[in-house]
Amino acid sequence: MSIIEFLQIWIIAFFTLSLFSFLYRDNPFYRLAEHIFAGLSAGYYVGLVWNSVIIQQMIDPMFDNGRWWLIFPGFLGVLMFSRFSRNYSWISRLSLAFVMGNTAGIFLLSELHGKVLPQMQSTMLSLNPGQGFAKFILALVVVVGVLSTLIYFYFSKEHRGALGGIARIGIWFIMVSFGAHFGYTVMARISLLIGQVQFLINDWLGSLIKIFA
Amino acid sequence: MKTTVPIITAFLSGLVMLLVFFFNPEKSAIGRLEPEVLSWVTIVGGFTLLLGVVSIVRVNYGAVKRRKEGWKYKIATLISVFAMAVPAVISPRVSPLFGTAPGSIYDWLFNNLDAPMMSTMFAMLSFYIASAAFRAFRARNAEATLLLLTAVTVMLWRIPMGEIMLVKIHHSLPEIINSYIMNGANMAVQRGIIIGAALGAAAMSLRIMLGIERTYMGK
Amino acid sequence: MNILLILAYVLLFLAGAFLLYMAFRTDDRRFIYLSVAFYVIFPVLVTLRLPTSISPEAKQLYDAVEALPDSSTVLLTFDYYPSTLAETEPMSRAALKHLFRKNCKVLTMTTVPLGGPSIAERVTREIAGQYGKIYGIDYVNLGYKANYVAVLKGMGSSIEAIYPTDNSGTPLSQIPMMKHIENYSNIDFIFAVSDNAIVDYWISIVHAQYGKRVGAGVTAVSAPQYFAYLDAGQLAGMLGGMKGAAEYEMLVKQPGSAVKGMTAQSLVHLFIVFSVIAGNATYLAKRKRRGGEKA
Repeated sequence: MSIIEFLQIWIIAFFTLSLFSFLYRDNPFYRLAEHIFAGLSAGYYVGLVWNSVIIQQMIDPMFDNGRWWLIFPGFLGVLMFSRFSRNYSWISRLSLAFVMGNTAGIFLLSELHGKVLPQMQSTMLSLNPGQGFAKFILALVVVVGVLSTLIYFYFSKEHRGALGGIARIGIWFIMVSFGAHFGYTVMARISLLIGQVQFLINDWLGSLIKIFA
Repeated sequence: MKTTVPIITAFLSGLVMLLVFFFNPEKSAIGRLEPEVLSWVTIVGGFTLLLGVVSIVRVNYGAVKRRKEGWKYKIATLISVFAMAVPAVISPRVSPLFGTAPGSIYDWLFNNLDAPMMSTMFAMLSFYIASAAFRAFRARNAEATLLLLTAVTVMLWRIPMGEIMLVKIHHSLPEIINSYIMNGANMAVQRGIIIGAALGAAAMSLRIMLGIERTYMGK
Repeated sequence: MNILLILAYVLLFLAGAFLLYMAFRTDDRRFIYLSVAFYVIFPVLVTLRLPTSISPEAKQLYDAVEALPDSSTVLLTFDYYPSTLAETEPMSRAALKHLFRKNCKVLTMTTVPLGGPSIAERVTREIAGQYGKIYGIDYVNLGYKANYVAVLKGMGSSIEAIYPTDNSGTPLSQIPMMKHIENYSNIDFIFAVSDNAIVDYWISIVHAQYGKRVGAGVTAVSAPQYFAYLDAGQLAGMLGGMKGAAEYEMLVKQPGSAVKGMTAQSLVHLFIVFSVIAGNATYLAKRKRRGGEKA
């Protein structure tokens, strides 16, 4: 292991343990690590935008391929910064409207065509008991679950009478789904901790063992 | 004028994307417009990423200037921003340490400081979720009991040790959980949510294009 | 040795139960943090390999990739932040190993600004080096471009319009592998590894409009919602969380960090289940006592 690799591991371990120290209590090491992290994350965006947008998408195509009209989207992008001016922030609306309108146009069709229709189609299941008990029960669960969930989330009418009854069934289904979500979420969070502990034990403590061994 | 021009821009920008959906990009003029318009959108979108950076520098600089509480830590934030940004914008032709390629200062700072710290921040959530499980998750009523029972069942089902336990109760219990909980009730609810959210998103998109929804423009 | 190992784990459970009792007595949540730390550190130090079953959705994804003809072109996305590396990086590694073993051409990209390009560069180069793959011929990293909706839609007509160059600035026209890849019609499969809702858009924009098969590796937080897409046939398969990553590692016969992490995952899950039961037992006992006192 080289000196640089050794130093790298120890720097990572220092900041990792500094952040974990917050679990005991707030302290200067945690606050320093937290502030450095915020700064580095912000600085990352500068390099990313400079490289992937300004150089690769504007300057290189403009000078190498003669696509001079790309100055216009660049100008629209710069107009975004007018948001920081109290008197001229309205100028940024043009850039925002261009992006938001474009995204809205894509979403309007893709949400209906790519989500609503295929999902509705898959819900149109046969409720024929002749297809077998297990399949019939599963189909019933799916159809009742989808409809009752949609009715539960319909808040334009008060949940009373038949609507209220179906919404009640929807709540039961939602509790099962949220329970499953919670179980998976626990798994997700624990996995992240396992990753960090694997680094601390295998790499950091391992570097110590390599020195003494 | 300050509102009308942006509304018209949003409408035209969205209309182009609606029309290209129905036209062949190789055979029609409007279809050929699609990649150019979308490349413009990605360029404009890139500049929005810098808004947060400008904001963070302004806020932290102001706090340091006015010696607000914790101002010494804000100096560390500002130094970090420039330590990452400045080497990244200098051409790598000056030195391989500059630019954003592997081996540069930018790449080193990200892989050895930023990424591990981000991972650690989120890893701490596991402690909080364990604490919440013991202190806060209570079966106060029938619905909460159902939620907790499902959560416990799924947590056991997802781990090797838990699967062994479930199989001992009934040999096909893991398949039943997969079929009736994950691919049954859970899938049904998620489908309902997907349909509802997609309809809402489509409605919102139409409102933005028609200029009814203007909150994205600010005051 | 086995008996010693079992004894060690039994002592660990007793220690955890004691810490939970102390947390209850002193109302100090740091005892709970300490027990979670024990349950994660111990299995990393003392490994106990447990059999990992393969879920149907992971097998589905593996079979979908395995069924691709060798030398197919696959788009592998690194749509995740560094915060979820423990779950998502093992998926990317296993996927790359699978694809390179099949001699697939791999095109990588990311829609995540913070860290996506750097992670894609690091992981792809490392795995490509293990399989002797050459950049520009066997794999290309496109990098990041802003506004993921525009990127996903734009690549349908022209990848070069959205990505004039690769991540390092080389024009796509100068990269041998990209000479035959113009848009989605030249891509055979999309393997999206993600920690956010971008998979929804890979499905609703790319799969729905361009008919491309999409397989997903997602974090455990988002996995439950994708069962609806799996059932509708909009997803070719799915890996959910670290378990999903472990399953794929087992399927490609290259066990890695995800498989090793499953023991710690098991212990902490059992501890949390025990905490939930213990917490509710004390709550019900208190409620009964209060009810008895009122009477």
